[in-house]
Amino acid sequence: MPVDYQDVSEPAVRVRGLTRLYPADGEPVRALAGVDAEFGRGTFTAVMGPSGSGKSTLLQCAAGLDRPTGGAVWIGGTELSRLSETKLTELRRGRIGFVFQAFNLIGALTVEENIVLPLRLAGTRPDREWIARVIERVGLGHRLRHRPSALSGGQQQRVAIARALASRPEVIFCDEPTGALDSTTAAEVLALLRGVVDEHGQTVVMVTHDPVAASWADRVMVLADGRIVHDTPQPGAERIAERLAALGRRPAPVEGAAR
Amino acid sequence: MTALAMRMLRHRPGSSAATLLALALGALILTAMGILVESGLRYHPAPVRYAAADLVVARPDTTFTSREFDGEVYESTVALPEGGTVDAALVDEIRRLPGVGSVAGDQGVPVVTAAGTTASGRGWGSAGLTPYRLVEGAAPTGDDQVVLDTATGAGLTVGGRVELVAGGVPRAYTISGLVTGNGTATVFWSDARAAALAPHPGAVSAIGVIARPGADLGQLRAAIARVAGDARVLAGAESGLAERSADRAAAALLVQIGGSFGGYVLLLIVFVVAATVGLSVRHRRRDLALVRAVAATPGQVRRMIMMESALVGVVAGAIGVPCGLAAARWLAGELTGRGFLPAGFPMLPGAIAAPAAFGTVLLAAVLAGLLAARRIAGIRPAEALGEAAAEPTGGGRKRLIGGFVALGSGAAAAIAAVGASGETAMGAALGMLYLFVLAVALLAPWINHAAARLLGPVLRAVFGSSGYLAAANLRAGARGTATVLTSLVLAVGFGGSVWFLQNNLERAAVTQSREGLLATRALIAPAGLPGSAVAGLRAVPAVRAVSPVRHTTVIVPLMGDGEAVAARAVDPATLAAVIDLGVREGSLADLRDGTAAVSASQASMFGWDLGDTVDMRLGDGTAVQTRIVAIYRRGLGFGDVVLPLATVAGHTATNLDDEILISAPASADAGLRAVAAAHPGSTLADTATLTGGLARDLALSAWLNRLLIGVMVGYTVVAAANTMVMAALARRRELALLRLTGVTRRQVRRMVNAEQTGLLGTAVVLGGSIAALTLSSVVRALTGNPVPYVPVLGGAAVLGGVTVLALATTVLPVARLLRVPPVEQIGVKE
Repeated sequence: MPVDYQDVSEPAVRVRGLTRLYPADGEPVRALAGVDAEFGRGTFTAVMGPSGSGKSTLLQCAAGLDRPTGGAVWIGGTELSRLSETKLTELRRGRIGFVFQAFNLIGALTVEENIVLPLRLAGTRPDREWIARVIERVGLGHRLRHRPSALSGGQQQRVAIARALASRPEVIFCDEPTGALDSTTAAEVLALLRGVVDEHGQTVVMVTHDPVAASWADRVMVLADGRIVHDTPQPGAERIAERLAALGRRPAPVEGAAR
Repeated sequence: MTALAMRMLRHRPGSSAATLLALALGALILTAMGILVESGLRYHPAPVRYAAADLVVARPDTTFTSREFDGEVYESTVALPEGGTVDAALVDEIRRLPGVGSVAGDQGVPVVTAAGTTASGRGWGSAGLTPYRLVEGAAPTGDDQVVLDTATGAGLTVGGRVELVAGGVPRAYTISGLVTGNGTATVFWSDARAAALAPHPGAVSAIGVIARPGADLGQLRAAIARVAGDARVLAGAESGLAERSADRAAAALLVQIGGSFGGYVLLLIVFVVAATVGLSVRHRRRDLALVRAVAATPGQVRRMIMMESALVGVVAGAIGVPCGLAAARWLAGELTGRGFLPAGFPMLPGAIAAPAAFGTVLLAAVLAGLLAARRIAGIRPAEALGEAAAEPTGGGRKRLIGGFVALGSGAAAAIAAVGASGETAMGAALGMLYLFVLAVALLAPWINHAAARLLGPVLRAVFGSSGYLAAANLRAGARGTATVLTSLVLAVGFGGSVWFLQNNLERAAVTQSREGLLATRALIAPAGLPGSAVAGLRAVPAVRAVSPVRHTTVIVPLMGDGEAVAARAVDPATLAAVIDLGVREGSLADLRDGTAAVSASQASMFGWDLGDTVDMRLGDGTAVQTRIVAIYRRGLGFGDVVLPLATVAGHTATNLDDEILISAPASADAGLRAVAAAHPGSTLADTATLTGGLARDLALSAWLNRLLIGVMVGYTVVAAANTMVMAALARRRELALLRLTGVTRRQVRRMVNAEQTGLLGTAVVLGGSIAALTLSSVVRALTGNPVPYVPVLGGAAVLGGVTVLALATTVLPVARLLRVPPVEQIGVKE
């Protein structure tokens, strides 16, 4: 079931000169210090880096959840900085899917209602056939009427993935989707993500700190101090772990070095 | 969106329970008040006395005309408290008009029967207007014959004798006949006798016209109107306006109570509900951030919150409105039982009031939702990703500016309240309270922050490490606890001020009356005392002074409307010996026809100065111009306007004196009693009884004020309890986290106690200051003394009550949370 794309040559997501400053007492904190990146269609990218490296900020800015201080973001051909909050939301619910680490679902709604929530809020009639296939793909057909509180952590993440797929988005952003799961359940969720990339040509950008999770991706991008320090095809979990460890052993950056 | 809002509500019923309770109570109160207003506004007196008359000429009310700034003419009509009169000569003029079948002038002479019951005395010529028909005997002729209705004459026979007191004078009459007809107890004299006894010489209370069969009523009406001058020509159902002014006064009272009180409660509802909806939105920040992140535009989330509020409003209305209908029935019964409403006053079932209250509550809910939804704009979708939903601690600049504006307006209102009179004092006090509480609500984040800094060392010293945590929580959650602080301040401010306002009013009135009353005895008669009683008392040996007093009402124009003001008519020559009004400026020696003395509060409210000539209308609508010759202090005890008897003579309903004040030694009592015995219905009272009677009258009207204020204070207390329970239960995750990091249950409890103590202390100081300021400025306006009287027990009840409230509503829910092992709660979403 291929997803319709307007232009296959155009990357799904593109960021240029992205900076993000957070106001703080005294010196503002620079979370992103000029990031340029492209995420091609049908690819699975893992964004890694130590705590405070800016990887979550990159995801939030790229996904239109947060507004960058400087630079530009394109989702497909649309540049986000000129969009109003309402337009941005409409873009998110139509062209972007999200999977967060936890608390992904609205407790008041059933599994099925959670999956179709973005479509309902967009006022579009859900494509019944597509939704049925998505639900079948994530293996939750028997739990549609349940509340999220009755599901295990792994099942909740699968519901979140189903919701992300429901609107056939151009890209799915995941923020530590396996961070709260044990390794077996995590593997199930990652296999599911890998599957939607391989079988449906979906684009996935995943922030993680787990080398094993990153090893399911096609490409690993490592951030440190708000900049990309490595950007290579996925070299295997062991190599990723080594690189991260090397990053941890680096001497602490000199004050202001990131600027 | 409706379905989604419904699902959200059903999933977390607790978060909207507080809103539901506040709205349902509000719906109850608004429905009850709405029924009062509706019954008052739609009251239309059905003609009884003039049921058979085609047209009635009367002056039931007086109209004030003023020109607005935009040049539009504004008219305001006030029912005449003493009833209007029509020139008796008009009867003959109307009789000469074509199309008139019969015409009769009607007199209403107050009559007391030997049994002590009251009746209305009329001329036989007006019997056909009701109509009354003879069942036995004949029409009265001569001065000593009378016809009774069968109820009044029960047990009496035609030809028998009956003693009646009319015009204060008892006299025996021969019963010439018995009649039946609709209406209250009535006696009929010959027309000449009725005219002689009439309280208004040369005038009748109304003229009834029965048209000749086939005559054009419209033409006749126009013809009568041409000769009637400023009197109104009433037809059909309107004729009821010419009778029963007591019902009309009651209708006006209902509108006034229901309108003003309903308005204050409405403000309170919006205030409280905005707080509870705001709190529930705050507690669901992460849910809302998630909805924002995955799908919903800011507008959609706003609509969802408003829809949720509206749904709660619908449920609250469905619960509260029926309860309000029951409450209105109870209230109407109480008002009738206590004499505020005449028996049989038609209360409406609330066909308009109930839907209006429902709609108002719904509107208040949506408005509160709208206010709360404004905060949604501050929720960033990225918050859905964060582990902890961090709240911004400070408030915005707009909030700060708004807070100072409210504070300034409150101070301005406090200054304005000093110029208010008794009737408007309550309104001024409430206005001030609202403004000050609004200021606290807006400035609460900064107040909390400052209080936490100030109280930090104290809490640490008293509660140890729990106190340290408490101070940190208060500082960090300065904005979150704003609602709790506001509701506590509201409870203290309301409980501490309006509740005691009534105490102060009563106390000042009784004190003024006691201090100012120089007389030692008083002769009192509810039906009135004639001039012969004054003469009789003056003839008693050893009596030093005798001074008759009439209680009446004058109507004074105020901003285009007519304001009814309680007045006394006195005998200027003897007044000084029996009453000391506490004259501040001018002299009562100058009091004569065409002049008046007024109380200081009246003078300041109407902007009158000594020597000013002011327009007033007497109780029967007669316009008079009076020059102010004295301004006195004791207005609460003796009325706000004092006129000479000569001015009101012939312009009150009975034209008799209500009480005669006597200055005499105890040795004269026997002689005084003899005079009392000669005037049936009168009693001799000492001054303690007179003052006590005033206190009883005040207590009666205080019952209504206390009921209404009690409901308001109760509402603020329920709202405060609501808010605090809600805030406490929302802390489950935070408390579980504290316990998992090693804080013991005891320490958590102590921490919560320390926080509540800090908040309570701040609230008591702020609420107490607001209450003191409000109370003192209003009491100063009323009595001139800025130090209010606060009963010790009452003060203790307010402080104790709010302490119990603050601790119970937090400690109990927290204790419940602490019974559950913390690991079970740490996974719970907020």
